[in-house]
Amino acid sequence: MPHWRLLETWDWAPGANMALDEAQLEIAGLAPTLRFYTWRPDALSLGWFQRVEDVPAARGGLLVVRRLTGGGAIHHAAELTYSLAGPADAPPFDGPVARSYERIHAALAAALATFGVASELRGARRLTSDLAGTGMCFHASSALDLVLDGRKLVGSAQRRRRGRVLHHGSIKLRASACETAVAELPGVEARALAAACERGLSGALGIELERAEPSAAELAHVRAREHWYASAAHVLAGGRRRGDGR
Amino acid sequence: MRPNDRRYTKTHEWVKIDGEIAIFGITDFAVNALCSGNEGDLVYCDLPEPGRLVNAGETFGEIESVKAVEDLNSPIDGEVIESNTVIEEHLEVLSKDPWNAGWMIKLKPRTKNLAEYELMDAPSYDAYCAAQKH
Repeated sequence: MPHWRLLETWDWAPGANMALDEAQLEIAGLAPTLRFYTWRPDALSLGWFQRVEDVPAARGGLLVVRRLTGGGAIHHAAELTYSLAGPADAPPFDGPVARSYERIHAALAAALATFGVASELRGARRLTSDLAGTGMCFHASSALDLVLDGRKLVGSAQRRRRGRVLHHGSIKLRASACETAVAELPGVEARALAAACERGLSGALGIELERAEPSAAELAHVRAREHWYASAAHVLAGGRRRGDGR
Repeated sequence: MRPNDRRYTKTHEWVKIDGEIAIFGITDFAVNALCSGNEGDLVYCDLPEPGRLVNAGETFGEIESVKAVEDLNSPIDGEVIESNTVIEEHLEVLSKDPWNAGWMIKLKPRTKNLAEYELMDAPSYDAYCAAQKH
């Protein structure tokens, strides 16, 4: 059974969360890793190519960072954020992107079911949470998204870089002023949900998890990169040909 | 078999020498991995401006599908002389013809001798892709 690391980094600063995700793609030889995390302060993350002017919530006074994955903006407030990272040629990432989503979301649905949450793939239907003009990830959906009662519950995205994959996502616990109409899990707290997801994902993906702390190399990467992820230069310069600050 | 007039990377880019220039693109395998046959799933492609210097293995651009952003890696060293701006507006070209109309950048190569790099010919790349299929 493959061995994966389990990281839990609660209430990290938004830029640090993004830098640790980037470290999963860039540090050579890093073991496959499942991470659960939350954000302090609450923040808005923009997709890699998203323009600030296309996201009205970015003008609402929230701290804003830009993710290294694409898609729409996410309000990281009442939610559990998760990431899986590892080599692109090994399960669950191998093969086409869509196939890897199917595997990961099936595992996540199985994990959520152990917590009494009956999520399912969206398929061809339209969602109550599909809202135009907000630029928010949870207000747009695709067939592979996990939904609950016709509303989007999990927003996910991947970055693929030099043979490694980062798949991260947000499991929404409660709606917010800029994320209205989304699925909610009343009374559920992020850490309790993480514990259930840890057991569920381990079983569904057939992996053995070993609890760990971020390594010295990861922490050095975070220190070097966290300020750039939250910098105005990076956040404002959405679109094309920005480079990555190095 | 894929065209054998060019060489291939393990990250699914191709490079072809045409006279004094080198041409890059991505393979059918890369396109299918991103969009599984749904060409509408490709949403954005970011290619470099002329004048940019790239080294083998270095990221020269990015391509976004509905669910993933993937780095585009340079097969060889050189200086960008032209990007295919048609792709940026018509990503379906990559699905329809990744080998010709779907070229991404033209480069003034440091050397035209592709044997200097770790690249695969078409039979080797076919075997490499076959081993990756699941």
